[in-house]
Amino acid sequence: MDFITAAIYGSLLSKGYAEDIFALLVNYQAISASEVAARLNLHIKTAQDFLETLAQLGVLAKEEVLEKKRPYYRYSLQQKRIAIDIDLMQVKYKPAQDSLTWRIREKENAGARFAVARSDDYITSVTIWTGQGREREERKIKLTTPQGKFLYYLPFPKAMPLSIADIIQKAGLDETLAPEILDLVQMLEKYAVIDKII
Amino acid sequence: MSLVRKLKPDRNITGALIPLSMLPIFGVTSLVFGFSAGLIILAVMVWAYALFYLYVFLRTRNWPHLFVSVWAAFLGYMLYILTMYVGTNEIAPEFGIAYFSGLLFFGFGLVYLVVTRKLKWRGREIFELAGEPVEDTGNGYTDRPRPVGKVAYSPEQIRSFARFAARHLIALPYYTSKNITLVPIKMGDEFGRLLGLIGDYRDATWVNFDIDGEVSVHIAQKDYLEYRQALAFDQLCASLGQVFIDFCELHNKGEGVRIIDRMDDLKIAVFS
Repeated sequence: MDFITAAIYGSLLSKGYAEDIFALLVNYQAISASEVAARLNLHIKTAQDFLETLAQLGVLAKEEVLEKKRPYYRYSLQQKRIAIDIDLMQVKYKPAQDSLTWRIREKENAGARFAVARSDDYITSVTIWTGQGREREERKIKLTTPQGKFLYYLPFPKAMPLSIADIIQKAGLDETLAPEILDLVQMLEKYAVIDKII
Repeated sequence: MSLVRKLKPDRNITGALIPLSMLPIFGVTSLVFGFSAGLIILAVMVWAYALFYLYVFLRTRNWPHLFVSVWAAFLGYMLYILTMYVGTNEIAPEFGIAYFSGLLFFGFGLVYLVVTRKLKWRGREIFELAGEPVEDTGNGYTDRPRPVGKVAYSPEQIRSFARFAARHLIALPYYTSKNITLVPIKMGDEFGRLLGLIGDYRDATWVNFDIDGEVSVHIAQKDYLEYRQALAFDQLCASLGQVFIDFCELHNKGEGVRIIDRMDDLKIAVFS
């Protein structure tokens, strides 16, 4: 299940009336939105949105019913269990084949402020200023220890740029930490703190 | 050795300003409260000066500073004694003898110490030496420290070098459990740095030796702007680190005097 689907499930289940609606769905063969609304004293739109979303997710089946009046839908339960199962590894950054060979260095006049740890050789945070005039905002990025060590060895502006892999090696870091390093590099590149030399 | 200066001329008068500021305070106090009160205030200020130099001696083990401290304490005492003669038309000959013999002794000693640069904070020499091999320009300043290399010395050897650097006023050492940080101080900056009036030493220019021998360098923007040209910052940091690595090597070979000779050869003015 992806995060967006899980978020929809989460949103539905967090409603105060969710358990009551599911109780009706489990105990009735089929039920309409107006019946649910009348039974639980909800607004019909609230009940309809809830049932419609469940139908879109495949938890309910909906059938159009034609009586004397205009057509409406009756909903019936299609599955007895709802399991939210998210593979967290799906959001793990997969470094592109060549990303570790990107040659980088600090950008000249980046305007960032680096705070150095007192006890060891690493950077603890980077402060960046964005915007102009009254819109100017300070953003402080706290770094993990591997990120801080990586940044400590980042070449200076005007110095010979080094590949990310070389800097990781100089900082004495394990290559398995590459995803968090790349995340930092991409963020600092976005804020124009790092120069990527192609 | 090239005498082409990389640093701008020193126009900092902080070092002279602090002792000279005693004079107007003495004048105003004398005017308002009388000559005796003025002398007492002056004596107190001179004693405060003596205390500061005693503190510098205790912090650095630089003996000439103890000499200055004793001189200032003596001068303060003489000023205090002088208050007893205010309003009388005579001064005891013992006072005159003590005053002139003291003046002669301390005056001679002071001139010797100043001329031989034994009282000189060597910050400018360090910055000149660091800038010497850097020919490229192009700025590239950053306030990040730069790792410059590794020395194969034990923490005790590095500590010994740090004590040497302090004793000869090359840099002020700060010790933590993992690091020895050496902060070069220029003449005139010693009051602010030692009294903690100019911020945290980590914001100043420093060279850090960690217990594994890793050396890193940070150059403060204020010091970088003291160079006439925007020297290639990366090279400048590497060069500053190398100056200290070389000094550490010379010291551990027992050739500390060569370090002093190297700095003296720059012939930088004694008050600069």
